[in-house]
Amino acid sequence: MSGQGLTGLSSRSRRLVAAGVLVWCLISVFPLYWVVVTAFKTPPGVVGGPTYIPFVDFTPTLQPFIDLYQGIRGEFFRTFLNSTIVGLSAAAIATAVGAMAAYALVRFEFRVRFGAGLIFFLLALGGYLLFSNSLGFTRAQALLLAFPIALAAAILANRLPLPGPILGNEDILFWFVSQRMFPPIVAAFALYLLYSEIGRLGFQLIDSYVGLTLCYVAFSLPIVVWLMRDFFEAIPIEVEEAAMVDNVPSWRIFLGIVVPMSMNGLLATFMITLAFVWNEFLFALFLTNSRWQTLPILVAGQNSQRGDEWWAISAAALVAIIPMMIMAGLLSRMMRSGLLLGAIK
Amino acid sequence: MMRNDPIKHVFIWPAVLVVLAISIFPLIYSFTTSFLSYRLIPPIPPRVVWFGNYASLLQEPRFWNAIFTTTLIAFIAVGLQYVIGFGVALALNARVPGERLFRVALLLPMLLAPVAVALVARMIFNPTMGPLNQFLSMFGLANLPFLTNGRWALACIVAVEIWQWTPFVILMMLAGLQTLPEDVYEAAELENASAWQQFWGITFPMMLPISAAVVFIRLIESYKIMDTVFVMTGGGPGVDTETLTLFAYQEGFKKFNLGYTSALSFLFLIAITIIGVTYLALLRPHLEKRR
Repeated sequence: MSGQGLTGLSSRSRRLVAAGVLVWCLISVFPLYWVVVTAFKTPPGVVGGPTYIPFVDFTPTLQPFIDLYQGIRGEFFRTFLNSTIVGLSAAAIATAVGAMAAYALVRFEFRVRFGAGLIFFLLALGGYLLFSNSLGFTRAQALLLAFPIALAAAILANRLPLPGPILGNEDILFWFVSQRMFPPIVAAFALYLLYSEIGRLGFQLIDSYVGLTLCYVAFSLPIVVWLMRDFFEAIPIEVEEAAMVDNVPSWRIFLGIVVPMSMNGLLATFMITLAFVWNEFLFALFLTNSRWQTLPILVAGQNSQRGDEWWAISAAALVAIIPMMIMAGLLSRMMRSGLLLGAIK
Repeated sequence: MMRNDPIKHVFIWPAVLVVLAISIFPLIYSFTTSFLSYRLIPPIPPRVVWFGNYASLLQEPRFWNAIFTTTLIAFIAVGLQYVIGFGVALALNARVPGERLFRVALLLPMLLAPVAVALVARMIFNPTMGPLNQFLSMFGLANLPFLTNGRWALACIVAVEIWQWTPFVILMMLAGLQTLPEDVYEAAELENASAWQQFWGITFPMMLPISAAVVFIRLIESYKIMDTVFVMTGGGPGVDTETLTLFAYQEGFKKFNLGYTSALSFLFLIAITIIGVTYLALLRPHLEKRR
């Protein structure tokens, strides 16, 4: 943990290095400072050219925030509430569901036959095409019919001695993580089509709480599974073994022993997921339009709606940023305790 | 130790089902759509065209332009992020004075919404009200057309990407640096190896696996760039800064050209996979040597 790599440096070059880091820090912080000061400026204060120091260069005002709260440029309050509700619930569900899966992948053995996976894919695709093209179902009906059938068939097929490789826990983990690799536009656009098809059946998923939360849970899961697996692997197995000797059921081992022991990890994962959901733009752009619009969409809209009203834009951006600033403070504290060590292994 | 207990299914199935429902189902759906000619505005009923969408995309100069732009942004931004990030991580690891203070400041940019960051960037790059042009004019430079000239706009987007994501590199590299064994450095000290020799002989090779992973993650993520470009330039001027995701958005959401957009997103997926596989294949010999 001590400083290697630069130990051979003279004190002069050490100072040079420190100066370099300081410059990078100033570059990092200046844009943030700029939003903060701009958010307190009056319109003429902005248009007159750059000013830097409140009370010296310009007289600060709260007007941009008052406008924001009164919803002069979009329903700000409601949007903020949406972001908070969707963010908190999606992060909580994703952390819970993902932690369970990660625990299962660390402690239990899974074997999936490659053939079964193939059967699932072929039946899903084939069944969907058959139902929608030949049997006259709508696309959403065809999807909703084909997938359970394909899934059931695949689960049954997994018990048969099919030829081909057998996939273990590592492969399942890779499958989870690889979901993060493909460009979200592929999923976002398809999800929009799927949601609107299902909407025609009567369940509204576009611009709805359920639709948006479900989507965020699914796209946070890879990172949750990835991070949590390392935390669970770091937990000494002896405690669990002792409990197993006493015949404590697995779910109680998980809830009573494992979860409390990895509380730090769960908390950090929850915060990282929350940051991801809070800032997410593309899915929100596709899947919401008015009622469940989130902050990034509103903030982006400030730009085009009424021209460049920088004071208003700054105030909106600042409000979107502040929760994440608090998170940065909390996370940086956890960072010191080696939080991310596991994530890069 | 692995154990076998039927309850394992209760643990894993919720996650599998959510991922299947939300990302695999739509994938199959859009896969089939990509072989159709299907428009909502103006409404044209679906008609099977097989590879027609793919063929017309590959002949579309705008598509190649988007690929080129995205690649340019991703490679330049990630390269510079890596160099700066590694440097700062080394410095922080060597315990430069004030290291604790730097940590929050360094973590901040990557937690902020890219949309908000892009708006702030627009303010800073603003030719008349922005502080950057005022700063540059102190050195006698004329007002620069930051976001209105294609090349400058591209450079600005790259700068914003670097600003936002270098912290990620710093964070990961710092975590990696802290796992390096100390005795190797002590031995190098005894040999009177200079700091530069120590870096190229020990630190860099030992950090290679982590570096490879960090660059890989950043590269893949950079290819998805959308929010920043959407807000900063909207792809303009013209289509000079249009990235792949933005192009797909324009086709899908402005023209509702469903089959075409599906085909586009699949080509994108193929491109990402090719880049990922090539990258891993190129690096594998170097990584295995170190083990």
